[in-house]
Amino acid sequence: MIHLLPLLLVFLPLVPALISFALPDRMAVWRDAINISFALIKLAVVGFLLLAAREGVITEWRYEFLPGHDFILRLDSIALLFITLSAFLWLIATVYSIAYFGRGPHLARFFGFFNLCVLAATGVAMSGTTITFFLFYELLTLATWPLVVHKGDEKSLRAGRIYLIYTLAGSAAFLAGIVWLKSLVGTIEFTAPPDLSGIPRLELTLIFILCIGGLGVKAALIPFHGWLPEAMAAPAPVSALLHAVAVVKAGAFGIVRMIYDVYGIDTVSELGLGTPLAVLAGATILYGSFRAVMQTDIKKRLAYSTVSQVSYIILGASLIGPFAIIGALVHLVHQGIMKITLFMCAGALDNRMGIKSVTDLDGAGRAMPVTMAAFSIGALGMIGVPPTAGFISKWHLGLGGLQSDAPWVIAVLAGSSLLNALYFLPLLYRAWLLPPSAKLASVRELDGAWNRMLILPAAITALATLAAGAFATFPFSPLSWAKLIAESGYLK
Amino acid sequence: MTVAPSLLLPVVILWPILLALLCLLPKLGPRMLLALPLAPLPALAAVFLAPRDQTLSVTWVLLDGGLRLTEPGVLFLSGAAVLWFWAGVYALRYMRGDPRARTFALFWMLVLAGNLGVFLAADLASFYVFFALVSLAAYPLVIHDRKPASMRAGAVYIILAVIGETALLAGFMIGAHAAGGTILIDEIRDSLAAPRADPLVLWLMIAGFGIKAGLVPLHVWLPVAHPAAPVPASAVLSGAIVKAGIFGLVTFLPWGSAWPISGTLLALAGFSGLFAAALYGAMQGNPKTVLAYSTVSQMGLLMGVMGAALAAGLSAASVLPAVALYALHHGLAKGALFLGVGVAGKARGVVRGLVIAALAMVALSVAGLPLTAGALTKSAIKGSAGDFGATLIGLSALTSGLLLARFLFTLPKAEKEDRLPGLMVVPMVALAATALALPWSLYAAVTGKAPYGTIDFLALGVSAWPLGLAAVLVIAALGIGLRAPSLPEGDLLGSVARFNARAVAAAQAAASVGGSDKPVETARTWPEIWDGLERLERLINDHAASSVTLILIALGLFAALA
Repeated sequence: MIHLLPLLLVFLPLVPALISFALPDRMAVWRDAINISFALIKLAVVGFLLLAAREGVITEWRYEFLPGHDFILRLDSIALLFITLSAFLWLIATVYSIAYFGRGPHLARFFGFFNLCVLAATGVAMSGTTITFFLFYELLTLATWPLVVHKGDEKSLRAGRIYLIYTLAGSAAFLAGIVWLKSLVGTIEFTAPPDLSGIPRLELTLIFILCIGGLGVKAALIPFHGWLPEAMAAPAPVSALLHAVAVVKAGAFGIVRMIYDVYGIDTVSELGLGTPLAVLAGATILYGSFRAVMQTDIKKRLAYSTVSQVSYIILGASLIGPFAIIGALVHLVHQGIMKITLFMCAGALDNRMGIKSVTDLDGAGRAMPVTMAAFSIGALGMIGVPPTAGFISKWHLGLGGLQSDAPWVIAVLAGSSLLNALYFLPLLYRAWLLPPSAKLASVRELDGAWNRMLILPAAITALATLAAGAFATFPFSPLSWAKLIAESGYLK
Repeated sequence: MTVAPSLLLPVVILWPILLALLCLLPKLGPRMLLALPLAPLPALAAVFLAPRDQTLSVTWVLLDGGLRLTEPGVLFLSGAAVLWFWAGVYALRYMRGDPRARTFALFWMLVLAGNLGVFLAADLASFYVFFALVSLAAYPLVIHDRKPASMRAGAVYIILAVIGETALLAGFMIGAHAAGGTILIDEIRDSLAAPRADPLVLWLMIAGFGIKAGLVPLHVWLPVAHPAAPVPASAVLSGAIVKAGIFGLVTFLPWGSAWPISGTLLALAGFSGLFAAALYGAMQGNPKTVLAYSTVSQMGLLMGVMGAALAAGLSAASVLPAVALYALHHGLAKGALFLGVGVAGKARGVVRGLVIAALAMVALSVAGLPLTAGALTKSAIKGSAGDFGATLIGLSALTSGLLLARFLFTLPKAEKEDRLPGLMVVPMVALAATALALPWSLYAAVTGKAPYGTIDFLALGVSAWPLGLAAVLVIAALGIGLRAPSLPEGDLLGSVARFNARAVAAAQAAASVGGSDKPVETARTWPEIWDGLERLERLINDHAASSVTLILIALGLFAALA
C-alpha cells in the first residue's frame, strides 16, 4: 500500500481540479469547500510521509510507460522538502485565492487549472528520472498559462504569449539536452549520478548548457528573465504562486537536480561548469535587484526582486560546497514563504484599497496595519535582516562562497542587500510614516470573514518567516531539513 | 527548586521584547510608557547575580549560539541598564500625553532589548541580531517628532546604519570562515589574532562598529540624529547605544596581537575626532547638538586609545578594563547632561542655577577636572594609549572644556511659569551622582590599583593646565563679549548632501506631497541609460520568439567555440 502513496500524493489534486471544472458557479461554496479540504488532505499526507521519511522509509512508484522509459515517482529527502513547502503554501494560497476573487467570473476554470498546477509542481518535485521530470515540467507550463491570462485583457494575453514563447523555447532546449544525454548513458535516475567519464567534454558541456539554459528560463536567469516581469499582469494569487513555489521554483529545483543528481558535483567541477553558472547567477542577483529599484509598480518591483532572489538558490547550488548547498536548499523554502507573503500583501492592498503603485502606499500602514506588518516582515527578510529567514539563507550562502574560494560572493550578497534595502525600505517608510490619503482612512482591515481570509494567510507566512529564522536550528526547521539533505546525499 | 542564575541572561532580552509586544495591544499601548523603567530591571539583576564568563548555550534559536557575561560586558551592561532605567523614568513623565507615545514605547523596548543583548551575545548570529535591532529600531526614535529636520536626520541615519550592518555582515562571514566556520565570537577573535589573519575582516568590523560609535569620518549621522530624538531618547542614544559600537570593538578586536597599520589608522581617526568634533561642536547653537559632538569626541578618544593599543599589541587585560570604565562614566554622565537639557528648559531662578551647577559638575568631570571621576577614568585609560596618546588625551581637556562650556551657555531658558516635575529632576540628579561616584568605587576592582595612592596636589594642578586654559579662554571671551560662531550641524554632511541632493530632494518631495494625488516623479531622477534598459527589455519581449531563438543560438555557438 505505502508504495502507492507517491502516486496518490501527485494525483490527489486531480480530484478537486475535475470537480472545479464541472461545478457550476452557483455551487461556488462547494467548490471552495472541496478545494480547501483537498489542500488539507494533501498537507496531512505530506505530514505522514515526513514522519515516515525520518524513519528512513523512501517510497517510490515506477511504471514502464514506454519500452525503456520508466515513469518513476520517488520521495527522496529533497523532494520532501519541496513538497512540504508546496503543500503548506498551497493551502495558504487556496484560502487566499478564494478570498481574493470572491464570487468573480471564470473561477471554475481558475481553480481547475490551479489544482493542475499543484499536481504538476508536486510531480516535478517527485520525479525520479529526467523524462518524468520533463513531463511534469511541461504540464506545469501548460497549466499555468490559463492562470497568467486569467483576466483576459490585452496585457494579460500579451504576458501569456511571451510566457509561452519563453518557456516553450526553454523546454525545447531542455528536452534536446535530456534526450541527447539519454542517448549516451540511458535512463538517468536521480539516485546516483551516472558514469559520464567516457563522454567527450564538449558534448557534456553542450548538454549542460542546453539543460541549464532550458531550466534557466523558468528560473528567470538573465537573459531569460524577460517573461517574469510581464507575467505581473496576472492576478495576485497567481503571481504569489508562480513566484513562491510553482514556476520559478521548478526551474531552480531542476537546476539543483541537474548539478547534484544528473551530472554529479564531481563531473560539474571537473568540467569547470559550476563557476560560470555561479557568475551568471551572481549577475542575475545584482541585475534583478538593480531593475527592481527602478520600478514604481509594486508587483513589478516584487517581480524583479524574484528574478534576483531565485538566483540565490542557483548561486548556492552552483558553488558546490557544504554551506553553499545548505544555503541553496534553505533559500528554496525561505524565498517561497517570504515572496508569497509579499505578493499576498500586495494583492490585498490592491484588492482593498486599489494600491498598485509605490506612490499609492502612503499611509497604508495605518489603514491596514496587519497587512503592512506582514509585508514589512517579508521585506526585511528579503533584505536579510536578522532574525528573519532571509538572514539564515544569506549567512550560509556567504560562507558557502568563501568555502568554495569565491569571495566575490560576499560582494554580491552585500550589494544585493543594499539594493534590497534601497527598494524595500522606501515602501515601508511610505506605508508607516507618511500621512494616509483620505480614501485610505476608511478601510476596516479585518471586518468580516472574507477580509480575514484575505489578510490572515499573509500574516501566517510572515510569522513563518520570522520563525524559520529565529528558530533556525529547531529539528523540523527548513535549515535542519536542508542540512539533513546535504548530509545524507549531496555531500560525499 | 533552584534556578540557575545564568538563566537571567535570556530574561534580560526577552523581558523588554515581551513588553514591546504588549505595546501592540490596542488598549494597553499608550499606557506602556509607565512600563519603560521596568524594562532594564532584569539586566540590573543580572549585573549582580549572573555568573561571569560562563556561556549559557541556547539551542534551537538562531544558529545554536549562546549568551554570556564577560568582565568588560558587566561594566557595559550595568552602565547601560542604569541609564536606560533613569531615562525610562524621565521618559514616562517627559512623553506623557504625546500622541505617538505607543510607538515611542514600542521602539524604546526594542532598542533596549537589542542594546543590552549586544553586551551578552556569545555568538555571531545573536550579536548580529541584537546589533541590527539597535540600529533599525532606533530609527523611529530619531524621527519621533516627524519634523523635516528630523526626517532628514533619520534618512542619513538609516542609510549609514544599513551600510554599517552590511559591512559587519561581510566582516562576520569572512571572519567566521577564517575561523573554520564557527560562530563563537571568542574563537573568531582568536583566529584574528593568529599571524596572517586577513586585515579585511578587521577593517569591515571597524567600519561597521565605527559607524555606530561615531568614528570620524563615519560619524556624520550622529550630530544630526542624536539631537533630533526626544530628550530621553537622545540620552540613551548618546549614552548607551553608541556603546554598542564600542563594545563591538572591545569584543572583536584581536587584543594581544600587534596590528601596526590598522591600529594606527584607527588611532588617527579616533584622535582626530577627539579634537575636531569638540572644536566643531563648540560652535553649535543647540545644546543637544553640542552634546552629540561631545559624544563623537569622547568616543573618538576611546577608539583612539583602542587603535593605539591595537597597534602596540597590548593584551586584553591591560586595555579593556580601563576602556569599559571610561565608557561607563561617559554613558552615565552624558545621560545626565542630556536629561539636563530638558530640566533646564523648565527651571527658573535659583532652581535653574542649581541645575546648571549640577550639570557643570558633570561637565567638568567629563572634561577631566582633577579629582573627579572623569579624571580618574582618564588616568586609567592613559596607560593603554602610549606616550603620544596620553599627551593627546591630556590636551583634549582644553577642547572638551571649551565644548562643555559652550553647552552650559546654550542651555534653554524656561519660557513660561512651569512646575518642574520631580520625575525629570530625580533621574538627572541620580545619573549625575552615579556618574560622579561609581567609577571611584569600581576603580580598584577594575584596574587592580588604588585610586590616587598619594595625592600630589602640585602635580595635579600642573597637569590640569589645559582645562585651566579653557576656563581662562571662556572667561576672556565672556569678558570681551565674544560670541561663538554658529556653524550648521552635520559638518561633512554638507558636502555629502550636495552630492546626493537630488535623492534627498526626491524624498522631501515625497514627504511633503503627502495625501494629495499628485504623482511624485521619482523616475525622472534615473539617468537616461536606465530608461534604455527598460526599453531594451520591452523590445526583447515584443519580439520574444525571435529573441529567444537568437539567444539560444548565440549561446550554442559560444559553447561550441569555447
